[in-house]
Amino acid sequence: MTPFSRRAVVAVAVACLVAGCGGGGGSAADGPAATGTPGNRTPAAAGSPVSGPRPLARSVPVGLEIPAIGVDTPVIRLGLAPDRTVEVPPITADDPAGWYRYSPTPGRPGPSVILGHVTVGAYGDGVFRQLARLRRDDGITVRLENGTAAEFAVTSVRTVAKADFPTEDVYGDTPRPELRLVTCGGPLEDGEYRDNVIVFAALRATAP
Amino acid sequence: MRRNVLSAAALACTAVLATAMPAFADDPSPVPDTTSAPTDSGEQAAETGPSPVPSDRGAAEATPAPAEERDGVSVVPRGAPDTGDAPVAAESGGDGLLIGGGAAAVLAAGGAAVFVVRRRASGA
Repeated sequence: MTPFSRRAVVAVAVACLVAGCGGGGGSAADGPAATGTPGNRTPAAAGSPVSGPRPLARSVPVGLEIPAIGVDTPVIRLGLAPDRTVEVPPITADDPAGWYRYSPTPGRPGPSVILGHVTVGAYGDGVFRQLARLRRDDGITVRLENGTAAEFAVTSVRTVAKADFPTEDVYGDTPRPELRLVTCGGPLEDGEYRDNVIVFAALRATAP
Repeated sequence: MRRNVLSAAALACTAVLATAMPAFADDPSPVPDTTSAPTDSGEQAAETGPSPVPSDRGAAEATPAPAEERDGVSVVPRGAPDTGDAPVAAESGGDGLLIGGGAAAVLAAGGAAVFVVRRRASGA
């Protein structure tokens, strides 16, 4: 009886230890899953938005500067066309860039979307003619109506076929303030550009 | 003696389990920051609003950041933006040259005809 009791108690003790260790291990393994959003959102979700510059107050953009490609332009507001595509700026000389007004204002968490033409028909080059020349860490400054400014740093530049436009990457939610600049690019096919050029940028600083 | 040893082992097991319990309960604790704050996002408010303390891990995954900090795109447009009106100078340059050349030829022919007619008239 005594040896049996001893074995039973030892078995229970081992089971308790295994259960305790297993519980701890499971908790640790579950940790990453709690922040397990896909792709590039994981670090931001884990680090929280306050790891970067403080988001700015809501204020519509009125100007855009991209020194690396000589852009200094006013910014107008754009909405939706009747066919539910995004409106684009008018075809004019010295065409402005346009902010998609259903996206966050620059400096607010989320993807703020600004569009501009690569060419404007008879007027020649558009405001975003050289957009594809931007490189990582190039600066982009957006002036806001309330006098503040948001400075972004380019994180990537992508040229994608219009047929495969990455809607989720452009308009999908982001926990930190980001910027998207969109224009056309690639070869002309039947008078239309085949691709879109998309610049992805993240908030680097705010002023004042 | 043996009883004392076994009692000590049982006590150790109890202590291990007691320390493991807070680890089990620790997972949801960071989440109330994201759910107790007011939100201006409709869908997420619906997901997180009913209870200040989420009861499952799905809620934690859906709110990685405070809702008030996330503005987001309220209306996602369809398709790709058409942000390039093809330059017309290159396409219509040949046509313009052709039209201009044709007009010049017509004018030259007209002028020559007038000249010939006047020469004949003055010669007669």
